[in-house]
Amino acid sequence: MFRRRIGRLAGRSVVVVGLAMFVLITVAPLAWLAISSLMEQQALTAKPPDFSSSSFTLANYTGVFAAAAQLGQGFANSFLVASFTTAIAIAVGAPAAYALARLSIPGANAILVMILGTQMLPGIVIAIPLFIVMSHLGLVDTRLALVIVYLSFNLPIVIWILRGFFLAIPPGIERAAAVDGATTAQIFRLIVLPISLSPLFATGVFAFIESWNEFFFALILTRQSARTAPLMISQFAGQYQTVFGQMMAAAALAIAPVVALAILFRNMIMKGFAEGMVKG
Amino acid sequence: MGTLEQRRRRAGYAALAPALLVLVLILAYPIVDSMLLSLQDLRAAGGTFEGRFIGFSNYGALLADRTFRAALWATAYFTAIEVVAVVLLALGVALLLVHPFGRFGIFRIVLLLPWAIAPVANAVLWKWILHANYGILNTLLTELGLIERNVIWLGTPGLALHTVLAVDIWKSVPFIAILLLAGLSKVPPVLYRAARLDGANAWQQFLHITLPQLRPTIAVAVILQTLWSLRIFDLIFVMTKGGPADGTVLLNFLAYRTTFNFLDLGYGAAIANVIFAVSLVLALGYIWLLRPGLQKAGG
Repeated sequence: MFRRRIGRLAGRSVVVVGLAMFVLITVAPLAWLAISSLMEQQALTAKPPDFSSSSFTLANYTGVFAAAAQLGQGFANSFLVASFTTAIAIAVGAPAAYALARLSIPGANAILVMILGTQMLPGIVIAIPLFIVMSHLGLVDTRLALVIVYLSFNLPIVIWILRGFFLAIPPGIERAAAVDGATTAQIFRLIVLPISLSPLFATGVFAFIESWNEFFFALILTRQSARTAPLMISQFAGQYQTVFGQMMAAAALAIAPVVALAILFRNMIMKGFAEGMVKG
Repeated sequence: MGTLEQRRRRAGYAALAPALLVLVLILAYPIVDSMLLSLQDLRAAGGTFEGRFIGFSNYGALLADRTFRAALWATAYFTAIEVVAVVLLALGVALLLVHPFGRFGIFRIVLLLPWAIAPVANAVLWKWILHANYGILNTLLTELGLIERNVIWLGTPGLALHTVLAVDIWKSVPFIAILLLAGLSKVPPVLYRAARLDGANAWQQFLHITLPQLRPTIAVAVILQTLWSLRIFDLIFVMTKGGPADGTVLLNFLAYRTTFNFLDLGYGAAIANVIFAVSLVLALGYIWLLRPGLQKAGG
């Protein structure tokens, strides 16, 4: 009896220590990002760093925009590209997902497998041909090119996740409506969509975050006016790599909106994505 | 008019058509085109592309290319270590989080943070943490008496690759943990109750219930993480640009550099297709693992 109690106590301590280490290791780097974005350059380069209250300032945040006046443009570009890609992916993907889940399309499985397969492919494979096409069309360095290319990873994932949600709707309601004479389009628009608002929204948030954070295609397809926030951050960090506080302020600004979204919608995102990926 | 079934099917085609059209244009066409590009000597000069068909010469050149071979080995090494480390650590984290102590909402937020932050911001942050002179990591290690001289994390061949590896592991563990957590939550609790009645201790329960039940999820995690490790780019681009001495040039970065810095598009496409081929095999494995779910949904 006594020995078992000691065993349980030891087990609990392992769990507590493990959880503490997990939180510390995950959060500490991000905390350092926030803290150093609020500290003066001199305080950061002192040995050891000077953490007295006089070291803290908001100057880095104002300084970032002064040093890189186009940063605002970058955020606007990111917002527009992410919003449009997400809206198109949902508008085109939701009907397709419903058709694949419910409308007995011949070869639905083959289509699904291909959709899932393309989702796994490395971006570089499509990046080179798409770059050539965009060059011929004169679309390099336009937001339109980014919206189009971002559909290549957003549309498959949107179809995949939404199909899972549509499958989970009890088919009885749709059958009843069909018996009452509703067309398939009416059933989708008037019954399925209204009860799927929260999964639609969660999927949208997911697609928005993925687009906002995207770097690789933006690096290849933009030059000047269509540069997105991640691209500006990387260039800013390359150009002012010794202005540590401002670099962190720029990074903090770029991650703040999506971190807020992720925290607000954490349950939907985790459920939808993790289960969609595992369950199939 | 047709039967109800036929009408539903017709509506289904109409609903599916736009999505398929988009996917063919931005995925299927580029994939096929990438194959064709890799059979050409294609260089970008002055805004135009001059291509000449050369058969499989690009692929032949790959075999003799020392940079490519080094990148191939480095990528294999990087991927193998990352997959093992990430899946083991994520399993540990997931097990901690199913414990009653680990079920507070705050832990779920912590889990999502590294995924949500932009990879570029993450890379810039770690470059600062690892800065040889002013980085907080060297400061901490010095204060703790663990090092005497500053470590040049990103400027030492060999070490740089492992530093990038550690940062990528840090970023990947929470997401794979989410995946494993979803798998853990589906293990029927009755199994544990029965095992406890039979007198099984925590380790035996883990070995004989948790692990077998979790095996499909672990397989999915291994494949997904392998695909993601093969693709690593943002961290390398921001933190090392492939240096020092090409020590962190992994395949995806090499394909990018060959294509968009050296403007050798055909050769770059050939390297990209090597990554594509490996990914395709893995993707097929992933689909094969998911096949019960697909069949259930069969149309």
